[in-house]
Amino acid sequence: MAQKLYFEDVKVGDAIPAVKKAPVSKDQIWRYAGASGDFNPLHMDDEWGTAAGMGGRIAHGMLLMGFVGQAVTNYIPKKNLKKFSVRFGGMTKLNDVITISGTIKNKRTENGENIITGEVIAADQNGDMKVSGSFEAALPNK
Amino acid sequence: MADAKQVGRQYDVAPWEVERCKIKELALAIGDPNPIYTDKKAAKAEGYKDTPAPPTYATVPGNWQSNTGQFMADLGINYMMIVHGGEEYEYHKEIYPGDVLSGKTTVASVTEKQSKSGSKMDIVIIETVLNNQNNEKVLTSRTTIIERK
Repeated sequence: MAQKLYFEDVKVGDAIPAVKKAPVSKDQIWRYAGASGDFNPLHMDDEWGTAAGMGGRIAHGMLLMGFVGQAVTNYIPKKNLKKFSVRFGGMTKLNDVITISGTIKNKRTENGENIITGEVIAADQNGDMKVSGSFEAALPNK
Repeated sequence: MADAKQVGRQYDVAPWEVERCKIKELALAIGDPNPIYTDKKAAKAEGYKDTPAPPTYATVPGNWQSNTGQFMADLGINYMMIVHGGEEYEYHKEIYPGDVLSGKTTVASVTEKQSKSGSKMDIVIIETVLNNQNNEKVLTSRTTIIERK
């Protein structure tokens, strides 16, 4: 886990260490429903997901954003994170194996703050993009 | 279709008390092993006052204690036709167990767009600002809802 990251140690183009998640399981989707309070039948019920044309239940988009947040705060201490946004792409299904990767895109000092920005992507075992996102963090000097 | 006349309409976010176990439950459901979410000692060692809320925590009060039903009805959005297009967070201050969050949700914009295939959709942006019990702004969220027409 990221405990400390200094502005001087980050370079534009640096890769964020990739995080590979365990296959998405029914158990995880149930737990996420309970934790988040999102019990939409699209996530809870395979028949419903099939009727909706998804070929079974799909994982919560916000679970995927949670995966991406894990990867971001695995690299940058959570307290330094200022902005975090995602766009949802493809649907995530049971047993999909999601890997999150990212790159530092920009570094600047602005109003006395050391800002870094980066882009992140979550993709499945076939390389299909599920989520793309970006983040901004303010880092301390050494 | 989403009623563009609703832009600017505001809704109260009812007070929501942040619970330590709900923070832990969210981190465990995501499978995020970062101990700052589950272990107060580990969190303190990294400079937090207590176990902080994970980056996507705001979805929890957003679902459990939602004003979503109200603004969706006022917007006239058809639930069967929507997808969650995106989510954006700005973090102003750490959220900790015991905090009581409240605030306002605003219908920020309704924009009609056409996809590459020619089908039309409405892009609705819902903005929520959350304050803590000391009236400090802690978080701003922007949710993009896409309604296919």
